[in-house]
Amino acid sequence: MIAVLGLVVGVVAGLLVRPEVPAVVEPYLPIAVVAALDAVFGGLRAMLDGIFDDKVFVVSFLSNVVVAALIVFLGDKLGVGAQLSTGVVVVLGIRIFSNAAAIRRHVFRA
Amino acid sequence: MRTMSNQDEKPENGRSADIRDEQPERQPLRRELPEEVPPPAAAAGADAASGAEDTARAEGAAGAEDTAADGRSAEEGSEAALTGRQRLVKGLWPPRFTRAQLVVALLLFGLGFGLAVQVASNSDNDSALRGARQEDLVRILDELDDRTQRLEDEKQGLEKQRQELENSSDQAEEARRQTAEKEKQLGILAGTVGAQGPGITMTIEDTKGTVQADMLLDAIQELRAAGAEAIQINGVRVVASTYLTDAGKSVAVDGNKIEAPYRFQVIGKPQDLEPALNIPGGVVQTLEKEQATVTVERSDKIVVDALRAAKRPDYARSSSQ
Repeated sequence: MIAVLGLVVGVVAGLLVRPEVPAVVEPYLPIAVVAALDAVFGGLRAMLDGIFDDKVFVVSFLSNVVVAALIVFLGDKLGVGAQLSTGVVVVLGIRIFSNAAAIRRHVFRA
Repeated sequence: MRTMSNQDEKPENGRSADIRDEQPERQPLRRELPEEVPPPAAAAGADAASGAEDTARAEGAAGAEDTAADGRSAEEGSEAALTGRQRLVKGLWPPRFTRAQLVVALLLFGLGFGLAVQVASNSDNDSALRGARQEDLVRILDELDDRTQRLEDEKQGLEKQRQELENSSDQAEEARRQTAEKEKQLGILAGTVGAQGPGITMTIEDTKGTVQADMLLDAIQELRAAGAEAIQINGVRVVASTYLTDAGKSVAVDGNKIEAPYRFQVIGKPQDLEPALNIPGGVVQTLEKEQATVTVERSDKIVVDALRAAKRPDYARSSSQ
């Protein structure tokens, strides 16, 4: 509950404050957000499976974000930034979908 | 969430068991559950033992899973009894202010914040380019440059065309103007337009009817030699094709009979025309010998307004061009 509240408060704060995204972070933010979403869906699934672990969640959340940003950074340096971030988004999207499917089975039994 | 609170209390064992027990072993365990379910008494005992030490266990049945490490199968059993939906509901309500909840809430706050910021900055109208990558921006810039170049070229072409059109229309205008000018000049010579300017008026009084066509012709020749540009006699324009004939006591000019006094209106330089008529043995003396009276007077403004229709030549054609 607190976690859901945190999410809601975060969205509201982001919409209200509308901070300028620093130019350094700009290319990484979207990928980082998608990676974090993946971690959240994984955590939700784990919770429904009854194996949720907060430390695992924290570590996976942070490492997902860091690795995603790192891949994008590396891609930019290698000159394949656009393709690599597309790849990252695709992979994370697939994971999100499979996690969502597991969650759906739990919640709707279908 | 439940296991999380479990770890909060029993740090090492509980968690490591949890982590080790992830996916692979899970399904088999579940299937074997019916056999592995421990006797209710054992579970209840464990529940009582752990429930005593933990106030958060007040959730009742949830306490069953929070048994010690060797109570793994017991935990599995009670977990299986809970469906995912029930776990979700239980995780949502009532809210628990545990450290884990707060940490997760913090992370999710960060996620929500980033999400909202990204969405907001992406949906700004002017910042369609803001999220673009460097190479994309370079490409877009190149394309814009190309486009600018193309449009610039097109603009230059069109301006050149416009210049040419203006020039040609200027030229056409100029040609028209010159043509009109020429037409007027030629019209004065051909007698199709009126003319005015300095000149002289010569009046020949012929009371006795002695003046003949050849005398008038001499006068005209003399005037032309002196630079007369437009001549009319008694309302008849004198042009290149003019002929004079005798008609009884008077004279016909181009077939138009005119009566004395013969009145010449001549445009030209008066200082040349008057002496030309008055030279000794000239027109005036010749006419006076025939007892005609000749008066010549200069004027600053002579109007030659007798006109003659332009006549297209039947045979002669321009040989120029």
